[in-house]
Amino acid sequence: MSKEETFKLLSDAVVSCKKDAVLAAVEKAKSEGIEPAEIIEKGLASGMNSVGIMFERGKLFLPHVMMAAGAMEAGVKLLEADMPKDAAKKKLAVIVNGTVEGDVHDIGKSIVSTMLQSSGFEVHDLGRDVPLQDFIDKVKETGASMVGMSALMTTTLPGQREVIEMLKEQGLRDKVKVMVGGAPATQTWADKIGADCYAENASEAVARAKELLL
Amino acid sequence: MGDGKRVYLTKEQILTDLRDGMADAVDLGDIPELSGDELDKLMDIITMPSRMVGVEAGMEVPVTHDIGTIRLDGDQGNSGVGIPSSRLVGCMVHERAFGADTMELGHIDYSFKPVKPVIAQEMQTMEVCQQNMIIPLLYGAMPNMGLYYTPDGPFENPGDLMKAFKIQEAQESMEHAAKHLTRDIVWIMQRMMASGADGVNFDTVGAAGDGDMYASLHAIEALRKQYPDMYIEAGMAGELMLGLHGEMAYDGTVLAGLWPHQQAPLVAKAGANIFGPVVNTNTSKSFAWNLGRAVTFVKAAVKASPIPCHVNMGMGVGGIPMLETPTIDAVSRASKAMVEIANVDGI
Ligand code: B12
Repeated sequence: MSKEETFKLLSDAVVSCKKDAVLAAVEKAKSEGIEPAEIIEKGLASGMNSVGIMFERGKLFLPHVMMAAGAMEAGVKLLEADMPKDAAKKKLAVIVNGTVEGDVHDIGKSIVSTMLQSSGFEVHDLGRDVPLQDFIDKVKETGASMVGMSALMTTTLPGQREVIEMLKEQGLRDKVKVMVGGAPATQTWADKIGADCYAENASEAVARAKELLL
Repeated sequence: MGDGKRVYLTKEQILTDLRDGMADAVDLGDIPELSGDELDKLMDIITMPSRMVGVEAGMEVPVTHDIGTIRLDGDQGNSGVGIPSSRLVGCMVHERAFGADTMELGHIDYSFKPVKPVIAQEMQTMEVCQQNMIIPLLYGAMPNMGLYYTPDGPFENPGDLMKAFKIQEAQESMEHAAKHLTRDIVWIMQRMMASGADGVNFDTVGAAGDGDMYASLHAIEALRKQYPDMYIEAGMAGELMLGLHGEMAYDGTVLAGLWPHQQAPLVAKAGANIFGPVVNTNTSKSFAWNLGRAVTFVKAAVKASPIPCHVNMGMGVGGIPMLETPTIDAVSRASKAMVEIANVDGI
């Protein structure tokens, strides 16, 4: 099977909303020696994107999207085991990451966390629907040098700006870099709210984090 | 406009909107376009100078009413006109003064479930109406499966379950609710048939998603088996069958995501006599856009349907603007287009 065919297999498996199909496709991709990052971004995430398009067109519905999301999460979990843990090595830097309050979309955010982790960062993933103050509290607690925030809806995007304002108010803005992401976020938005960087996908997020922190 | 705002468009703008609306239906439903002649005719109908239009002689179709029994009396901010009158008077006025070809008796709550505790009253009213009327009188109500979920019913609300990411539990809740809904509809209709009803009108099938349609189709099937000559009309709640469950199927066809032309054969298969296709009005688009779209969808449904189609025409459906009392220029034009271009058998 060519790499492209394997990516298609992975993507189709997510669209089928079946966990077994996704797990089988991931195993197959692994056995072909494809990098976990590529399996996720070019295969699984591209399938999730198709699911989103089909959802918008009334071909798939909320339960399907939830099942596809669950299947994709299981696929990513399977890959996490293979990603370099770097447990012994010294961590490059500490990053707090989470999905802002009011937003339960966490697939993309979790991929970003996983990729940052496997690139050698110490990541504290706060999960989804995170109360904004929790980002700040975690930064204080861990002494993190970067905070990442995901928002997948136009209605929750302003949460990213609020955290930046709160960081300022609590005298922490100069101590941490802020990275924002999620489908509705853009470079223009990041500039507007005074974030330090924006990344469109997980590998870009790793690149940006390295640029800013190392 | 779809929200009832009065706008002035040039012929070119109208034609562009007709085409765009049609293209939207073609794209979503994967159905054929209207022909050039049909678009011309739609254009003619929309631009007719008279305020009110009618179908060509010889093309008249039967007209029926849902909830009409309380349209005169009703005055709770619905489309009623608040004239104190009994349901019998409502039915008879529709028959003898308004020219309805069939009529239905409906309850003020207008869903099947709340009819259970007042079944004796419904039976008696049906009997009295039948004694005074000639046209077929059905019993009508909405399946409204939402009434079976908390806080209104016994089963946990799938909306709450989904929020907690409990998909399987949500699906099971819908399956349970569907079973109860089918059972209630059949129980109520057995009693209404015993009181002389000519049949049943399922109004807004699928309002609570695919489970609602699933339950309704099974009720139709059971009623058809028990009453071979009963008149069964099934009108839909919206153009697209929303997949709240996602995997429910009837006769091997998954219900989620079905468009009118795909719904019709299933409704017929279950045993209905009449299918009522619905196309929703987009309030931010023009009347021309909405009508082009609605006629394209309904024409495909009529073509695919083995049984007659009585299209739903009223506020916010069938190309008609979303207004409490839709304007007669839009209502009469949309109706004429449905009869002469989409070839509907009734309204
Ligand atoms: C899956 C999904 C869901 C799942 C989420 C499951 C889960 N565990 O995450 C479920 C079913 C629960 C869901 C629920 C809802 N959803 Co939803 N959902 C989606 C969908 C289809 C895909 C999102 C996804 O996972 N993509 C795949 C991942 C890999 O991509 P990603 O998230 O974009 O992440 C990548 C990048 O953005 C970036 N990135 C992400 N986070 C971060 C963070 C940082 C720091 C950085 C640097 C980068 C980064 O890197 C990631 C990897 O490449 C989108 C549509 C779409 N096409 O995006 C709608 C969508 C986001 N949902 C939407 C909505 C409206 C909802 C609901 C309100 C329900 C509804 N009515 O449809 C609820 C929201 C409830 C709530 N309070 O949050 C809308 C939002 C519209 C808007 N106004 O913005 C969308 C756009 C669909 C639509 N068109 O209607 N949804």
